[in-house]
Amino acid sequence: MKKISLIVAFVAISSIANAQLYAVDSIPAPLKNKANAVVRESKTVVDMRSVTNVELNTTNAVTVFNKSGERYAQLALFYDKNTSIKSVKGEIYDEFGKQITKFSLSNFKDESAVSGFSLFEDSRVKYYIPQISSYPYTIVYTYEIRNKQNLVIPQWSPVPGFDIAVEKSSFQFLQSPIDEIRIHAINYQGASEELNYEKQKSLYWSVQGIKAIKKEAYAPNPETYFPSIKIAPVNFNYYNLKGAYTDWQGLGKITYDHLLKDRQALSPETIASIKDLVKDETSDRAKAKKIYEHFQKKTRYISVQIGIGGLQPIKASDVDRLGYGDCKALVNYMQSLLNVAGIESYYCVVEAGEEKTDLIPSFASMEQGNHIILCLPLKGDTTWLECTSQDAPFGYLGSFTDDRWVLACTKDGGKLMKTPKFEAITSRQIRIAKLSLSKNGTVEGVVNTTFDGSQFDNHAYLLTKSAIERERALKYIYDINNIEFKEISLSANKDMPLFTEKLGIDIDKYGHANNDKLQIRPNLFNVKRDVPASRNRTLPLELKRGYTDIDSISFTLGEGIVPIVIPKTMKTETKFGTYEAEIKMLGGQLVYSRKLVMRDGIFGANDYEAFESFVNEIANYDSLKLTLALKK
Amino acid sequence: MRKILILALTLLPFYAICQEFGFGEITSQEKDFNRTQIDSTANAVYLNEYGTTRFSYDSETGRVKLVFDYHVRIKIFNKEGFEAANVIVPLHRTGTNDDQKEFLSDLKASTFNFLNGRLVETQMSSKAVFTEERSKYTHLSKFTLPNVAENSIIEYKYTIETPYIFNFRTWQFQSEYPKLNSTYVAFIPANYKYNISLRGYYPLTENKAELSTACLRISGKEMDCSKITYSMKNIPAFVEEDYMTSPSNYKSAVYFELSEVYYLTGSVQKYTKTWKDVENELIDSKEFGSQMKRKDVFKTIVPGITTGLTSDLQKAKAIFEYIKKQVRWNDYYGKYCETSVKEVVDKRSGNVADINFTLISALSAANLDVEAVILSTRDNGVVNKLYPILSDFNYVIAKVNIDGNSYLLDATEPLAPFGLLPLRCINDQGRVINLKKPSYWIDLKASKRSSTSHSLIGKMNEDGKINATVTSHSLGFNAMNLRKDMKRYSSLDEYVEKLDERLTNIKIKNYKIANVDSVENALVQEYEVELNVGNTENTANYFNPFFINPIRSNPFKLNQRNYPVDLGAASEERIAISISLPEKFQIKEQPKDISLALPNQGGRYILQTSLTDHNLTLSQQLLFSKAIYSPEEYHYLKEFYNRIIQTQKSDILLTKSN
Repeated sequence: MKKISLIVAFVAISSIANAQLYAVDSIPAPLKNKANAVVRESKTVVDMRSVTNVELNTTNAVTVFNKSGERYAQLALFYDKNTSIKSVKGEIYDEFGKQITKFSLSNFKDESAVSGFSLFEDSRVKYYIPQISSYPYTIVYTYEIRNKQNLVIPQWSPVPGFDIAVEKSSFQFLQSPIDEIRIHAINYQGASEELNYEKQKSLYWSVQGIKAIKKEAYAPNPETYFPSIKIAPVNFNYYNLKGAYTDWQGLGKITYDHLLKDRQALSPETIASIKDLVKDETSDRAKAKKIYEHFQKKTRYISVQIGIGGLQPIKASDVDRLGYGDCKALVNYMQSLLNVAGIESYYCVVEAGEEKTDLIPSFASMEQGNHIILCLPLKGDTTWLECTSQDAPFGYLGSFTDDRWVLACTKDGGKLMKTPKFEAITSRQIRIAKLSLSKNGTVEGVVNTTFDGSQFDNHAYLLTKSAIERERALKYIYDINNIEFKEISLSANKDMPLFTEKLGIDIDKYGHANNDKLQIRPNLFNVKRDVPASRNRTLPLELKRGYTDIDSISFTLGEGIVPIVIPKTMKTETKFGTYEAEIKMLGGQLVYSRKLVMRDGIFGANDYEAFESFVNEIANYDSLKLTLALKK
Repeated sequence: MRKILILALTLLPFYAICQEFGFGEITSQEKDFNRTQIDSTANAVYLNEYGTTRFSYDSETGRVKLVFDYHVRIKIFNKEGFEAANVIVPLHRTGTNDDQKEFLSDLKASTFNFLNGRLVETQMSSKAVFTEERSKYTHLSKFTLPNVAENSIIEYKYTIETPYIFNFRTWQFQSEYPKLNSTYVAFIPANYKYNISLRGYYPLTENKAELSTACLRISGKEMDCSKITYSMKNIPAFVEEDYMTSPSNYKSAVYFELSEVYYLTGSVQKYTKTWKDVENELIDSKEFGSQMKRKDVFKTIVPGITTGLTSDLQKAKAIFEYIKKQVRWNDYYGKYCETSVKEVVDKRSGNVADINFTLISALSAANLDVEAVILSTRDNGVVNKLYPILSDFNYVIAKVNIDGNSYLLDATEPLAPFGLLPLRCINDQGRVINLKKPSYWIDLKASKRSSTSHSLIGKMNEDGKINATVTSHSLGFNAMNLRKDMKRYSSLDEYVEKLDERLTNIKIKNYKIANVDSVENALVQEYEVELNVGNTENTANYFNPFFINPIRSNPFKLNQRNYPVDLGAASEERIAISISLPEKFQIKEQPKDISLALPNQGGRYILQTSLTDHNLTLSQQLLFSKAIYSPEEYHYLKEFYNRIIQTQKSDILLTKSN
């Protein structure tokens, strides 16, 4: 009897303890400020028992304040042949820390995690979305995941995203004392705590009291200001691939030797046809270009996640037969075609995306990089090829892979290389418009624009669209009321990234005629948008890519318009760029010209205000209205 | 007459007979087919598409199933058309037994390229087919054709066996690519009766029914079938337009729903026949009718909610508020309960039916006259009204009748005021299901006009800056959307901060927002602002008075419109501005007063400006009195916007006297 009451007492105490634990009241006020959610407590333990058994054990308690914070309460556990979910359970508490409900794996939905059209992909996800009718609430859960490989160790990111604060969060890595690992800490103050036991070594990291980080416009890559710990074991096992590496040289060597080598054989017919294709070319560059054009015509991109956990490309001979492959397979195939012509090339791993993300030079690990490109170390003329595009000009990498460190996997091992950067002066949009303006405000004429450098991609996507879709898209790009396109002609240069757009336009009543006046905005096509104002800017300002825009518009004035304007020049210059616009009469025509050069770079948070006023000043100049007199 | 004849001849369909074509037997016409014959902008064209569905009887299990054969030949013109070579075939399943899932078999696929005048076939290997287990109920069979290049012809055929005979197999005539010829043949045994409906804007070029003898053998008995052929030629690609509801409302397709089966024993099983049958089926259903009657669950709860309330309307409103707060929608649609009213009350969450049957039960516990309304959401398409097709409906709401008025209620949307349905439910008509009376159709419309009125009262300083107070009242969907937006932020402060960041030239100095949570009332926002409308360096100064919600861009950009424009709800916006000008300022020019109207009282725009004693007042009204405009009215809408944009370009010219 006594025993039972003791148990009851214990249960009661523990639930009171919990109640106090998760009451929303107990969250320190600074952490609630501008937060949609708070990580109350998070504990992650990764136990590397062996190279084929890495266990991840996580306990999280997250308080959600509103709908926007809800994504931090959702739980998505990915699994596949090599990753299994061993257990998961959780509870949800109300504002006062009183338990509302419980859940376990049976409450999870199960779906494939394959996105888009992908063949042979077996990634799956089990997910749980809490259905709680009132805020705030706290979700507390624990799960265990077992990985049958140790090549990719889960990274610790204590701050899960924007607008969430962290009360406390810890990470522990357990290993055998003889295992060698490498560690890379980003934005983590201090060192890890190390404890050594007879059979186990423990490394421990923790953070507390991190305020919510607000998302800000023109901020740098989030990886540069969120904390994280990455771990890479020296000896690894991955889908029966065993090896050891400590740097990019070693990882590149493993990739070359185990994933790429011996997958490039081609049929005698293909070899003969490639030899025949390039027989008249003398330079390696010309040969490579011919092969690239042939390759673009023959292949298309299809995601095929097969072979050593998705790391190994399908054979070149298969791509040759099927005419499709994923980025790995297409690069491997292109490389094998170049081999036939005796041209050396490197299979390069890159982290692709608008955000320029480097492979971390000082820390090699397999999970960095999500795309493959090809590098041709032609003498004095290193050339890069994107192999998943059927339209890219020879040697063109867009803003998807520009200006970042990538890993070239060669027979001598890996080496880091940097992809080319787009400079402001070579990323141009040059527009020349010859228009006529009639006294009722109607504008007609031709607009020719060329795009190069990083601006090549601005409108190049229109090439693949049908005529109707092109017209529709252009009406959104040049969003001028009543604009009609009488002629649309688009072309891309195959030799270099240069896109040309020729438009015949007609805009009924563009200008506003009022009694004896006609008002127009002479800058029709390139009005800079304001940037969001910022109060208390905290993050640095990053302008990722510089560019140059030049607009010259001339108007032939119609009968009845008095050809007189007061000339006006608008100019401004800051460290972010230069702007100059001018309106005047020249040879009987009204001429508007505008040149904007925006520089790239990283600036301090306190520079944002100056940037904002620079852009707003330009936006103001850009919307200049002109009043022309009409003859009576 | 002659002219028409010639036109008819040139448009004469490519294929004279609608029948199955041999695999790989590509004609020279097809080889040389030029897309300008149907659509010069097409990335790919279906040259021929043929499908049949027939019944089959499995003597081992004693079950009937459907066998669907599909065969298509597509010409690909450019790289954008390569997408047509990536094929996904969804296979449905309701369990793990063989009679609970669909099977794909006899897949054959080839790419044909013309090299040096020769037709070269590349067959797809059977290993190239991959199955993705999308979810418990859907597996996807995926394949892609090999060696696809510009001007390739691809061809594939497959068979699907399915145990789901209820909807037979829908045939889609229209897809994202144009089709020269699409033929569907349905073999329906004489003892099965289906309701068949054709949707879309294009007519069938052939529709015939023939007798097909001995098409099905059940326990040694041979049965006859109707062989019905549906054929369409030169079908344009389906292009989605802005402001349109579900594409399925407009795409040409044939739909089926099983109505009766006559068994060999002589007995008849009726599936769906009359609304009477449907009503009975729903009312008897554990997941429908039984859940309407669970007032016992609320026996003790409802009196607590309605204490002190005397009128039925007050009670209904209180109960609606209570249910909205108490239960949370799990984002799933449905006309049937997933659990039960009892469980919903305990667990405080559920699908649409769970929640609205809970509401219905609670309302009836207060002795209110309440009914259920089944409907099809906007993204699910409109329902067929010729005969009841229950599977068209995917949603259920409550209808409560008080003092001769009826109110449609959906408790899944916490920010919806009493009587206003969320936009997803505003879709033509729904069917009212009453436990005791026959069912009937009811219009699903926004009960309240979406309206916003802004009023600005301010004073212009000599430097041209305006200090003003802006007060906005929003109702209907306008209020619902604003509230949703506000709820995304952790506080109203943050919402206003973001708003302030978005507005250039306007600084918000102070604000008051009322009724965010009392959704029955107008949402009131009051901002103290400082506006920078221009500089006064010059003696003559233009300023544009259309700075509150200006219309700068026409939402209707294209010159063609094939389908109706659906704006969801009627809407109205009023803007009134009153600014007192400094003594020294004179108005030299002002926008002309204007009054525009859409035909058939479809809407209007009115602008009036006046100046008295240095006080500038400007008032605008923009009204759309309908939710749906026909394709014929499209050009008026486009021009209406055009004229408003022109009008809003007018400035006010101020002069400063010294």
